[in-house]
Amino acid sequence: MKKADAVVIGGGVSGLFTALELAKRGAGKVVVVEEGYLGCGSTLRCATGIRASFTSVEHVELMKRSIQLWKEYSKALGFRYRQGGYLWLASEPETVELFRELSKFHNSLGVPTRIIDADEIKELVPCMSVDREVKGLFDPIAGKADPFGVVYALARECRRLGVEIHDHTKALRLAAKDSKVVGVETSKGFIEAPVAVVAAGYGTRELLKTVGVDVPLEPVPHYALITERLGRAFDPLVIDWDAPGVPYIVQTLEGNLLMGAGVTEEPSTDTSLPREFLFLALRSWSKRFPWLSCVNVLRSWPGFYVCTPDKHPIYGPVGSVEGVYVAAGYSGHGFMMGPVTGEVIASWILDGKPEPRIAERLTIDRFEKGELVREKAIVG
Amino acid sequence: MIICRCEDVTLEDVERAIEEGCRDLESLRKRLRIGMGPCQGRTCIPILIRILARKLGVKPQDLGYPAPRPPLTPTRCSVLRGEHDEEG
Repeated sequence: MKKADAVVIGGGVSGLFTALELAKRGAGKVVVVEEGYLGCGSTLRCATGIRASFTSVEHVELMKRSIQLWKEYSKALGFRYRQGGYLWLASEPETVELFRELSKFHNSLGVPTRIIDADEIKELVPCMSVDREVKGLFDPIAGKADPFGVVYALARECRRLGVEIHDHTKALRLAAKDSKVVGVETSKGFIEAPVAVVAAGYGTRELLKTVGVDVPLEPVPHYALITERLGRAFDPLVIDWDAPGVPYIVQTLEGNLLMGAGVTEEPSTDTSLPREFLFLALRSWSKRFPWLSCVNVLRSWPGFYVCTPDKHPIYGPVGSVEGVYVAAGYSGHGFMMGPVTGEVIASWILDGKPEPRIAERLTIDRFEKGELVREKAIVG
Repeated sequence: MIICRCEDVTLEDVERAIEEGCRDLESLRKRLRIGMGPCQGRTCIPILIRILARKLGVKPQDLGYPAPRPPLTPTRCSVLRGEHDEEG
């Protein structure tokens, strides 16, 4: 039997940032268990985007802090991160109106988004064709990072600070006694610990059932494709709001073009790639980037938005079992929230309250109380 | 010695990543980007399997193979988006 002060279940960006924050703050012995390889759940499948331009105060405030931490961590740990912005395109007048409202909301919270015209869009993405009447909502502080670089930089720093990371080790159940967690049973033995952080994506649901907690999580499949590398073509992540499937495109920091488009909103655990995905994503972007015709697609893959009923994460203690903390249900935004997730969960464990405080609104009991948060822009 | 020509990964890189704790093909692929270039691992993954099997003292066939990702071979966007349907 192994002993620890805290066990983190999940070796993705949420679990690793949490483990790192715990270790930095002197939380004692921290052990991370990951059922596959590091980042294999959602982290390494993501679209790499990072933004604070959301439509709820909770998301905006948490992501403002996360962006600050992305800057600090990318320097301290040496992974790549760039504030190249996010650009939403609007072809319909109603969409432009919606964007104006959103921009007012963002500005009121200190996120400097603005409406731009076709000329400025051309300046930002010179290789894209847009009609005169197209407008954009531009978020200059949004950006992107390299998920592979992030995962391995985090793992290295965690190990340097004494965190034990066990990959290919599946957490099977949480063990509780007198409504307190006492440890985690894994495929490689029992780990005794008074604190367990469950940051296991959709797996969080099964794990918390073992202590009688039902977490409302549903996996919604999404797909992405990537092309061969090109020279640096454009910096912002671009989202075509009025095109079918609301497709996005981003040039990764490696130079590949990564594209996605929504095929379904139905929850499913099916990992097969629907035929229509490649058509949907490529047809939309071929209209905007005619030169794509002669670019090669290398791969496409599935991933899941692990969604909650209000599309906001579940953070913090579960309440009924002392010592169990949840960090899951980002509904498509787990990668960008990674740094703030680590701070929220570590401060909750060590100080008894989260930092930033607004995370208190995202505890699991909001679903029972009916205090859901609303979010409209769930893209990228 | 170069193992992956598309991504310029050497034998030394592979051995160092294994030492660092990447003990499966998917981790090595993501850590080094080996097999992520235009050849999609046709040349380098079989070599990588042999190196890793030897290091871990297991049979190559026990290591499995990274998940296949369509379209399997680099394919022009114009072909995949089915423009012939539209124009024909």
